[in-house]
Amino acid sequence: MKNYKATVNVKLKEAVKDIKAQTLEQAVHNIMPVQNLKCRVGNTYNIGFDAKNKKEAEKIINTICEEILSNSVIEEYEIKW
Amino acid sequence: MVKAGIITFLGTNCERDTKRACEFFGWNTEFIKHNDKIKEHYDVIFLPGGFSYGDHISSGRIAKLTPAVKSLPVGKTLIVGICNGFQILTEAKLLSGALTYNENIHFISKVADLEFMGETIKIPIAHHQGNYTGKGGEEVILRYKYNENGSDDRIAGIYDRKNKIIGMMPHPERAIFEELGLTDGRKVFEFIKNEI
Repeated sequence: MKNYKATVNVKLKEAVKDIKAQTLEQAVHNIMPVQNLKCRVGNTYNIGFDAKNKKEAEKIINTICEEILSNSVIEEYEIKW
Repeated sequence: MVKAGIITFLGTNCERDTKRACEFFGWNTEFIKHNDKIKEHYDVIFLPGGFSYGDHISSGRIAKLTPAVKSLPVGKTLIVGICNGFQILTEAKLLSGALTYNENIHFISKVADLEFMGETIKIPIAHHQGNYTGKGGEEVILRYKYNENGSDDRIAGIYDRKNKIIGMMPHPERAIFEELGLTDGRKVFEFIKNEI
């Protein structure tokens, strides 16, 4: 067994209105003028676990992402090892 | 007599209101624990409102993994998700779409005007993530008159007739008793009874 560490970023899909990002953009504009400001808000999860190999590790992290960390209807996720 | 089950999760807070509403109609009502598999027969099973598992990760995300939700008798018993219950049903993919943050990002708690079966009724809403998007083939049974949360097509409640699953953000169980000032929730419960 080998220990794997993954960083998962979950964010809303482009087509879904990102209300938190709009609030953030408004807040930025309240403190200073910024041109072409575009924000997306998401969550980051750092997850470590043991697996036999990379293939099994990928299967585990994808299951965690699909079942718990994201909702495929509105969100997408990205994994970095 | 109608036999109703109400699933309680850690963080559920509308189970007693829902039970009282069911009992107002003379239904035999009992609670179902989140970590129990559903083995008994019920005519209707409610997933009540609240903040299951503190809304961690996202509303309804953790509750969908519980033994009670995984053993729901889909297609056999009428299933009704109210507020957090609706969020759980969409997260479990038992109803299409998703409920995201309200358009004005505020938690909204007010009495909403709703279009229901050709008339306008008044029922409380209380949610942070009630902005419905991505409807599939379900029938829309409740619409906000003033779309308080920015939902697609003003959708407040949907019904999958084939699988007998209803999901709604408004709280009809809070509009049953005259002493609370609202009784339009009775119409929704009567609709539920007719669909059993």
